[in-house]
Amino acid sequence: MKSHISIQDVNAFYGDHQALRNITVEIPQKQVTAIIGPSGCGKSTLLKCLNRLIDLTDGASVSGKIIVDGINVLNGSIDVTDVRRKMGLLPQKPNPLPMSIYDNIAYGPKLHGKPGKKEMDEIVEKYLKISGLWEEVKDRLKSPANKLSIGQQQRLCLARGLAVEPDIILCDEPTSALDPVSSQHIEQQLLKLKTNYTIVIVTHNIHQAMRLADYVIHLYLGELVEHGHANEVFENPKEERTRAYINGTFSIDLKIDSEANLKGKMCPFNFVYAKQALHNLEDGKILKIIVDDPTAVTEVPRGMEADGHKVLIVKEINKTDWEIVIQK
Amino acid sequence: MDKLIEERIFKILMVVSLGIVVGSLFMVIAVIIWNGAPSLSISMITQTPKGGYYLGKEGGILNAIMGSLYLAFGSVILAFIISLPAALSLQKDYIGKTRLAYYIRLSLDVLWGTPSIVYGAFGFIVMLYFGMRASLLGGIIVLTILQLPIMIRSMEEVIKLVPYELKEASYTLGATRFETTFGVVMRQALPGIFTAVILAFGRGIGDAASVLFTAGYTDSLPRSLLDPVASLPLAVFFQLGTPFPEVQRRAYASALILLLIVLTLSIVSRYLSRKFTKNIIR
Amino acid sequence: MNIRKLKDAFAGRLMLAAALFSSLIVLLMAIILYLRSRPILEVKTLNDLLLGSIWMPFQGKFGFYPFIMGTLYVTLLAMVIAVPLSILSSIYLAEYAHENVRTKVLPVIDLLAGIPPVVYGVWGVLAVVPAISYIAPVIGNLGIPFLTVKGYSTGYSLLAGGIVLAIMVFPIIISISEQVLRAVPFDIKEASLSLGATRWQTIKHAVIRIAYPGIAAAIILGFSRAIGETMAVLMVVGNVPNIPSSVFDSAYPLTALIANNYGEMMSIPLYDSALLLAALILMLVILFFTVAARLILIRIERSMAYG
Repeated sequence: MKSHISIQDVNAFYGDHQALRNITVEIPQKQVTAIIGPSGCGKSTLLKCLNRLIDLTDGASVSGKIIVDGINVLNGSIDVTDVRRKMGLLPQKPNPLPMSIYDNIAYGPKLHGKPGKKEMDEIVEKYLKISGLWEEVKDRLKSPANKLSIGQQQRLCLARGLAVEPDIILCDEPTSALDPVSSQHIEQQLLKLKTNYTIVIVTHNIHQAMRLADYVIHLYLGELVEHGHANEVFENPKEERTRAYINGTFSIDLKIDSEANLKGKMCPFNFVYAKQALHNLEDGKILKIIVDDPTAVTEVPRGMEADGHKVLIVKEINKTDWEIVIQK
Repeated sequence: MDKLIEERIFKILMVVSLGIVVGSLFMVIAVIIWNGAPSLSISMITQTPKGGYYLGKEGGILNAIMGSLYLAFGSVILAFIISLPAALSLQKDYIGKTRLAYYIRLSLDVLWGTPSIVYGAFGFIVMLYFGMRASLLGGIIVLTILQLPIMIRSMEEVIKLVPYELKEASYTLGATRFETTFGVVMRQALPGIFTAVILAFGRGIGDAASVLFTAGYTDSLPRSLLDPVASLPLAVFFQLGTPFPEVQRRAYASALILLLIVLTLSIVSRYLSRKFTKNIIR
Repeated sequence: MNIRKLKDAFAGRLMLAAALFSSLIVLLMAIILYLRSRPILEVKTLNDLLLGSIWMPFQGKFGFYPFIMGTLYVTLLAMVIAVPLSILSSIYLAEYAHENVRTKVLPVIDLLAGIPPVVYGVWGVLAVVPAISYIAPVIGNLGIPFLTVKGYSTGYSLLAGGIVLAIMVFPIIISISEQVLRAVPFDIKEASLSLGATRWQTIKHAVIRIAYPGIAAAIILGFSRAIGETMAVLMVVGNVPNIPSSVFDSAYPLTALIANNYGEMMSIPLYDSALLLAALILMLVILFFTVAARLILIRIERSMAYG
């Protein structure tokens, strides 16, 4: 495995909130690396650190090193436009620019050189073909990009990103706004592209990660939990939290024997309540608890494991609430 | 039952109020048309005042119409050149979030509220200092200052509405702030920027107090920037001030011309800004 | 450092310069007006100037009192007419009116804002002034305070100025307060309605209470627009320098004083200094009101953003 991006001891803050803690990991070249983890775990932040888009966020600060092709991306004095050019970004929601389809693709190449009309036509055609959009739009290149369907817009964004000739493609949950057919389309394009590009994809869809990834990084509340080859991580995770996360998103039908709603309870009381609930159960029975205290989400599973119980699932069920399933 | 009666009374009051507000607009327009239309003629808009015009003799107010157009176009162009970069610099990518931007906005708001007669007096002092007399150039400069806060603040409002994802898209392609601003932000905000310009144009063409001392008044068309120049609002004002009913009626007609220009502008701008929205991302 | 970066940096500086230039004009204006009005401040006390009621420039008497009162009265009268009508209209537009009505009426009100002052002035001369001269004798003889007529009214009066100004400030007050009212969170209305309050009770007790600072800001901005208006008022208010005791009396506001006299008769000592002092006073009043209104609006914006 040849490393392309080397992330070394990266910490990121939004004001006082620490979004990334001491992340050190290598991202392999010309493979698909999936960053997985529940929302709010720092996946997108890590992605934004790679292309320095985090600079544009108010109150954000980053420390550490990210080495790409021998250059530290986080070094303040480098030309950030070069860094970003090297990494195309496929956003969560397609964001076509307010211009025609043709101009959307031409926008990037125009910035970085002044190709002639004929060259530009070739560039536009080439990248629209790569992103699989050419056949659908070749007759209306001059029409506004906002007239395309949302799935087409996302492929346009892919083509636009590729047109500046990056080595790396960053994808921030690229299919979360798309319908299943368009999602499939994007996934197919990404699989084709990995022969030429290093692809980093952030996703909370574990199935997508399994379909696409060669390498997996699992983040949890800003910490790096586990990283490794996809088949190893998915089939035999070393960390219990990774197993819980993968199982949780699989949502296997577990027979829940008892439930406790611990919303509104603070740490460590929710831990005490959970222990009490477990105490009443027989060995091997399964307890599901719901918590809304962010610290409980890490502390309760940790404590339970220390007590010798097995944490099966830790899953975010909505913005505030988390579900933790424990086997005695 | 009481509370329902109260509600009904207030609802009636509200409808009546709105009726008065909207009705007063139509009344203003109707009264001006009613009194102005009979005196409106081709010679009104194609001739400059001839000898004895202000006594009721031959002539028109071409001098004032052209003067106003010169003043308004000149000042709008100048104001646009300053306002666009100023408004763009108030984006958060530049100084938008700083303390400085806060004070810049505040002082622009004060400038916006400053009475135009104060602009006029200020302009006159500055012109005296430079040894200028009332002229097209003087009028243009004062109107430019008058339009700056209107343009900058309205443009800033629409620029603020440009979705951040668009800028992000441009940045990820390796664009600089400058390229993003002029390649993407400007395109997306174009209809709004256009509306801001029209707003300022309307304010410029209709303002009398600021050009009273600075642009002067003359019966001929200006031949250079340093010639004094007539303007429509002042034409209305001066003709109304004469004791001759014949000339006063021409004041009404002049007011009608001014009103028509402003209303046409506002309607055309609404139509045009819709045409600019072809590529806009919603 | 490549050419693109240089361009970016250069453009950034230029843009900042444009913004700074525009914002410094107001400071320059205040300083110049102050410097030019200093001669008269050196000779007379501010007290004499502001409270003196004799205006005889040839004899060196510069009493601003009648003009200040003229400005104050005509502005207050305009606000008395405009505030209730505008607020009621904006409540109707924000809370009751159908979307169709709202989207049709608001552009019309915008149109009202775009009409030049001088056109309003002509309208005042043609419609308001004759109407007042017609009704003045009828009402004036009833002996109601502030509504008396001494002898004969031409119609060029405080009331005419007030009505014309009121119509000019409608759009300002309505558009801002309508926005503020519509920004009141829906849950608050819902909460009140679910407690069995009628729509009007909800508006009266909940919506207006929350929108109150914004409406105040709208009124202040309308007030400062009315105080500074020159041409339209000048054309209908009569321009007689006395202190009006009835709405049918003529008045002479500060703006009209400057417009009618500045630029002429500059040979009289201190005359132009006195007029520029009037301009400075107007500017300071506007400064005060604008800053007050903006502070309120900024605070509202922040409280909406954070919570």
